[in-house]
Amino acid sequence: MRGWHVHEVASSPDRLKTPLLRQNGQLREASWEEAFAYIASRMKEIRNQYGPDALAFLNSPRCSNEEAYLLQKFARAVIGTNNVHHGTGVYCNNSINVLLDMIGVPATTNSIAELAQSEVIVVDGVDLAKRLPTLGGSVIRAKLGGAKLIVVGTRRHRVAESADLFLQIKPNTEALLYGAMAKVIVDRGLMNLPFIKERCRDYEAFLLQIAEYDLLQVSEACGAPAAQIEVAALSYARARSAALLYSSSMEERTRDSIRAVVNLALLTGNLGKAGAGIFALTEQNNLQGVCDMGMLPDRLPGYQPVTNAKERAALGKVWGCQAPSEPGIGSRAVLTDRGNGRVRALWLSRHDPTNTASLGNVGETLRQFELVVVQHLFLTDISQYAHVVLPTTAFGEEKVSFTSTERRIQLAEKVVDPPAGLSPAWLQITQLARHMGADWRYESSREVMDEIGEAVPIYGGASYENLAHDYGRQWPCTKDRPLGTKFLFSESGNGQPFRFIAVPKPQSPMQTSRDFPLCLVFGNSLYYWNQNVLVRHSETLKREYRSLFLDYPEGFVELNPEDAKELKVRDGEKIRLCAERATAIATARVTPEIMNGTVFVPHFMRDVELQLLGGARNGDKLVPARVEKEVA
Amino acid sequence: MKARILDRADSLKIVDLLRAQGHEVIAPFRGRGRDTFFETVTDQNRDQVQLHLPNPYYPPKRYVFPHIERLLTVKRDNGEIRIQPSYDQRKRAIFGIRSCDVAGIYHLDRFYLGRDFKDVYYENHRKNLFLVNFVCTDPENDIGDECFCVCADTGPAARDHFDLQLMDLGDEFMVVAGTTAGEALFADPIFKKATETHVAKRRSILNQARKEFKTTTSWFSATVRYVSQGEILERTWEEIGNRCLECGGCTYVCPACTCFTVSDRQTGPNEIERVRMWDSCGLGGFTRMAGGFNPRRAVHDRRNRRFFRKLAHYFIQRELSMACVGCGRCAAVCHGDIGMPSVVEMIRRATAEVEKRESVGH
Repeated sequence: MRGWHVHEVASSPDRLKTPLLRQNGQLREASWEEAFAYIASRMKEIRNQYGPDALAFLNSPRCSNEEAYLLQKFARAVIGTNNVHHGTGVYCNNSINVLLDMIGVPATTNSIAELAQSEVIVVDGVDLAKRLPTLGGSVIRAKLGGAKLIVVGTRRHRVAESADLFLQIKPNTEALLYGAMAKVIVDRGLMNLPFIKERCRDYEAFLLQIAEYDLLQVSEACGAPAAQIEVAALSYARARSAALLYSSSMEERTRDSIRAVVNLALLTGNLGKAGAGIFALTEQNNLQGVCDMGMLPDRLPGYQPVTNAKERAALGKVWGCQAPSEPGIGSRAVLTDRGNGRVRALWLSRHDPTNTASLGNVGETLRQFELVVVQHLFLTDISQYAHVVLPTTAFGEEKVSFTSTERRIQLAEKVVDPPAGLSPAWLQITQLARHMGADWRYESSREVMDEIGEAVPIYGGASYENLAHDYGRQWPCTKDRPLGTKFLFSESGNGQPFRFIAVPKPQSPMQTSRDFPLCLVFGNSLYYWNQNVLVRHSETLKREYRSLFLDYPEGFVELNPEDAKELKVRDGEKIRLCAERATAIATARVTPEIMNGTVFVPHFMRDVELQLLGGARNGDKLVPARVEKEVA
Repeated sequence: MKARILDRADSLKIVDLLRAQGHEVIAPFRGRGRDTFFETVTDQNRDQVQLHLPNPYYPPKRYVFPHIERLLTVKRDNGEIRIQPSYDQRKRAIFGIRSCDVAGIYHLDRFYLGRDFKDVYYENHRKNLFLVNFVCTDPENDIGDECFCVCADTGPAARDHFDLQLMDLGDEFMVVAGTTAGEALFADPIFKKATETHVAKRRSILNQARKEFKTTTSWFSATVRYVSQGEILERTWEEIGNRCLECGGCTYVCPACTCFTVSDRQTGPNEIERVRMWDSCGLGGFTRMAGGFNPRRAVHDRRNRRFFRKLAHYFIQRELSMACVGCGRCAAVCHGDIGMPSVVEMIRRATAEVEKRESVGH
């Protein structure tokens, strides 16, 4: 739905047209020259006084590759800091790190189109209909074409309705579930031994660990019937090719749960062939691209660690100067307490962290920076903390590239002219670099991409000429393989072997009791989407995303209809949540989406969360509780 | 209707003639991969216009019913309020519009202009529009896997509602005039007389083209009856609803969908503009009422609304045509494969089962 309304955002009359500069507490219009000169002089002052690590640069995973590449280059080469991160950094690095560690590539291994050839598709956790509908469509069509669809998750999403098998599991029990599936596969001798022998290491340690899993115990802990877990394991292992899809950007996903996913794919040899693979889904349009471009505090463009001197030197040859060797401060630390007070200047590119409920009160932190520069289409909520606001171009108004969740580098053409006076964000970063004394000469985004080709080996062949064919190219796209790569690891023997990592059997999650029979789950909700900057400036999206907000003006916690019936609670009624040591009151939203026996508390219900958890939130915390009807 | 013959090499000269008459000419172009699109012809891109290509997914209806359109502005000036409507009266021609889309525009005509109150914005777009229809004959390029105009009775050759109609006869094109404005163009020497042989050739090519359609929904008329009489099972609708991802795509690409919503946007300190934009019955907010009640809260209730609106006899009677022209776009863009042909098929299967059970019971 969001794609169909992208024009409403670009054509919104609220678009900013001129730079704004704070003077005497008020933002006033300024010329571009004035704005750049001001930012450059303030950045120099702050760097001279506190050192380069006093500056940090965050962007949104919606930024283009060119923009992301230049922003991290600006930070590393012009300022001299590794304090760069994308806005979802708090969530997504688990997936990157686990995948690099186990298979050497931090991305989806196969192509979406190949799902049509998959015999089994496992969808884990992600709401494809809402977050990645195009991919959801490919899954549904593959299922209609004969693939067996297994959906795993805590919530009953739309795609689960089409599933052959829906394993509704208790939160944070994924690692247990996949461990038990591996056990079933090993017990039945269905592992792919030639593949394991030829291409993997550390299998023995994994086997030892797997022996500890017990199907019946796991079934009880997960809440999914043992027979279903067994069927899922057998189908996955017996399929000629099976694909496994999970969300790489969910904070709740622990490293172990992702390791368990990869182990399962290795055990069955589901890598290196069409229709198989691990789909590490990136739910924002360019999350893959901004990570590829090195918007990570500990990794250079192309994912080499900043601590690796050889890689820094190689990149230094392209840049003419070296990136710093110390890992930078990540976005969570920057936005929570300015990295222990070390960061004093902040650059935010198309990123509006004030509405990220999972971060708590970002406004308080933002107020403490000496310099906040915001690049955005609109005057957002963070503008009140900004010293400079630089308006920029929207999607369709600039020629840039984005990299999708299947590693596909796609060229977005300029199809409409931007409002007069607006320039692309990558050009603004270039101009600022010149104001800072750097010799940057990019005249077009094409030249930026040419440099990306030199700096990031997997983008080596991704020139604009090449990307203009068909629907772009999937990396690795090198000069030797200009057509790109549909699925990874097709040739065995080269590169590092895949690595099993034994996942210690997790403790069974919290036990409910007679007094506290329900399980409180904390997580994200679509509720606040109407606060999203882009949604707010699109009439149709605003209407669609606001309805939840209008229906529950005071927010809500979610209850399953069966539990609600037993408790005699109706939709919209007030309930009291009683945990062992604390209670909180909230409106009940009764929905069949959530699992029997659980109460879902969205992160935006901060008061409820604070009352029940007391203090800092822990991503995988579950709390036993009881629900009582609140009598007014 | 009069017919003429045009040299293949001269086909784009029609574009030149129309541009010389002051029309903004819209024509189909090829993009990347399967992508094609309608775009204004300029001196620079004129030679890239192509006729034999897959019909663009983004339908040409936007030239009479734009995706988003300013209706009026309201200004406050010294306590006085001034309202200024804005009408688009540009003289436009669409070159290479397919027969299904011609039928689509005719359907919009019936909806927006066919009854007591005329939609003045639509009327202004429409009255200056010239349509050059192109008949789909090439099974490789023109006729897509999802096309089913033969079932919706709109193609491959439109019978009326165009100004000119082009059909590829090989080395030549046959040109048929549908209106006097179209016929007036025949004065130009590029048009030559058509012979009996040409007419025969046209007939045989068309007969062949009709056999090239891959999607046939011969159950269309029966489905109209089932929908009109409310005979479709609730569980069939649920099955359809479960596959809907609520993206709205089917309505946005539909040449016959007419729904819009209206919104006011602030454009200055003392100024607003009123815009209307495409809306979709697939979205929850479409039927949500001010108090929060939504008569079509469940997804399948919204989906059945779409098919009821398109196929029920009541609406067909009102607009004199089904609100489905068989272009197949919904089938191509729908993530859950519940475009019109699939839905007809699902209804057929479910009803056949019931009928089988009933006949066993007797």
